[in-house]
Amino acid sequence: MKGALKLISILSGLVLWHLVATRVVNDSSLLVSPLVVIAKGYEMMFVTAELYPHLVASSWIFLYGMLIAALVGVPLGFLMALSPVTRDYVNPWMTALYTTPRIAFAPVLLLWLGIDIASKIAIVFLGCVFPILINSFYGMRVVSREFVEVGRSFRLSGVALFVKILLPASVPFILAGLRLAVGRGLTGVAIAEWFGATEGLGYLIFFAGQTFNIPILFVGVAVFALLGIFGFQVLKIIENLATPWRKEFETK
Amino acid sequence: MAVPVLELRNLTKEIPAAGQEPFVIFKNISLTVNEGEFVSIVGPSGCGKTTMLRVINGLLTPSSGQIFIDGKEQKGTDGDLVMGFVFQGASLLPWRTSLKNVLLGLEGKKPPQEAGQIARSHLNLVGLSGFENHYPHQLSGGMQQRVNLARALAVDPRILLMDEPFAALDAQTRTFMQLELLRIWSQAKKTVIFITHMISEAILLSDRVVVFSRRPGRIRSEFAVPLARPRDIDIKSDHRFVELENVVWKQIEEEVKASRESSLI
Repeated sequence: MKGALKLISILSGLVLWHLVATRVVNDSSLLVSPLVVIAKGYEMMFVTAELYPHLVASSWIFLYGMLIAALVGVPLGFLMALSPVTRDYVNPWMTALYTTPRIAFAPVLLLWLGIDIASKIAIVFLGCVFPILINSFYGMRVVSREFVEVGRSFRLSGVALFVKILLPASVPFILAGLRLAVGRGLTGVAIAEWFGATEGLGYLIFFAGQTFNIPILFVGVAVFALLGIFGFQVLKIIENLATPWRKEFETK
Repeated sequence: MAVPVLELRNLTKEIPAAGQEPFVIFKNISLTVNEGEFVSIVGPSGCGKTTMLRVINGLLTPSSGQIFIDGKEQKGTDGDLVMGFVFQGASLLPWRTSLKNVLLGLEGKKPPQEAGQIARSHLNLVGLSGFENHYPHQLSGGMQQRVNLARALAVDPRILLMDEPFAALDAQTRTFMQLELLRIWSQAKKTVIFITHMISEAILLSDRVVVFSRRPGRIRSEFAVPLARPRDIDIKSDHRFVELENVVWKQIEEEVKASRESSLI
C-alpha cells in the first residue's frame, strides 16, 4: 500500500512534467519531457558510456569527502560534548565556518590545493563535516541522564561508560547527521566541479548549461538526485543493521 | 551484636543557594538495616526519600553524615559494587536485549560464560525465561521492571535499593508485581530498601516501615510490620494490616497538611 502510493506519486509527477514540457512550455531549449531525459540518460550510460567517467569522478570525490568528514566530525563532536574546553575553543570557528556559504571557499581552496581532486574533496568535506559534527555533539550531550546514572550505579569505569552507554546512545544521532551530510555533500560535488574541472557530474551540468544542451543538463541533475536517493538507502540499511532496536520504534 | 548491613549516621543533603539559606532536602537521617531485612520508606511527595536513596547509592554526595555498608564507610561511586539499584522508570538500555541489560553489571567482572549463566538464571528468577533476546520496547512495563530487578540482583549486591519501581505500572500489574517481589525476595534473600508512595505496598512487602516527614525529610517514625511470612494478597484484609495502614496514613496526612499550611504562609 505504502509502496503503491509512492509509485503513484512518482508516476503522476513525471506525467505532470511531461505535460508541462510538451503542452505548456513546448520549447526544447528550455524544458524537455522526462521521456527525452530517460532516453538520453540510457544512451549516455549504456550506448556511448560517456556518462560513466563523470559518474565515477563525482562518486569518488563524494565518498572521500564524506569519509574524511565522518572521521573528523564524529570524534570532534564527541570531544566537544565531553570537554567544555574543547567546546569553547571549537565553537566560534564552527559557527563561523558553518554559516559561511561554502561556495565562498571554493576559489581559495582551488588556489591552495590545485585543480585536482584534493580541492574538490575539501569542498565536499566542508559541506559534510558540520552536520556530522553537530549531530555527534548533540547525540552525546543529550544522552539521557538516567542512562548515565544506570552506568554509574553499576560502577562502570569512564571507558566502559563511554563504550556501553554514551556511544550506543549517540549512534542514531550520528546516522541522522550522516544522512543530512549526503545532501550537503552532493551540493559540494556540484560546486566543486563548476570550478576548473574537466569531468564529473557538476562539470557535465555546467557544460550542458553553457551550451544550451537541455537533455544532458537534466540527465546530470537526475543522476545527482538518484545518487542522493541511493546514499539515503545505503544509510537506511546501515541504520537498520546498527540499531535494530529502533526498527519497531519508528513503525509504531 | 552483628554489624548491620547498612548504617546511616546523621545523613544530611542540602543544596547551597547563593546569598540564601541552603535548601535542605533531608536532615540528620540515622537508620540501621540488618541482614536480610526489607525496609520501606514512605512519606509525602518531595520529602527527599528518592534523593536519599541516590545518596546511599553514591550518585549524589551527602552534605554531611556517613554511610556504612558492613561497617565500611562508602564514598561516592568508588569501590566495589555492593548495591543494586532498581530505578523508577524506563532505565533499561534500549539498545540492549533483556539478557544484555542484565549482563551490564557483570561484563568485565565475571568470565563471559559464567556471566551469561548468572544473567539467565536471574531472568529465570524474575519469570522472564524465553525473553532473553527481546529489546525493552518489545516488553510490557511490568516485564521491563522485572528485567530491571534481575539486572540489580545479578551483581549479587549486599543491599538492593529500589526507587518506586512499580510507580509507573497500572494498578493490577502493580499488585501482581508486589506479590512477585515477595516471591523473588524470599528466594534471593537480599537486604532491601524500598521507596514508595503507597502505604499498602510498603506494609505488604516490608519487615519495617519508616515514615518520613515533609521536607526537609526526617525520620518521623518507624513501625515493625507484625505480619508473618510468607504473605499473600489476603493479608491486606488482616486487621493488623488495616490498623497499621491507618496509623501511617494519619501521619502522612498530618505532614501533607502541615506542608500545605506552611506554603500558604
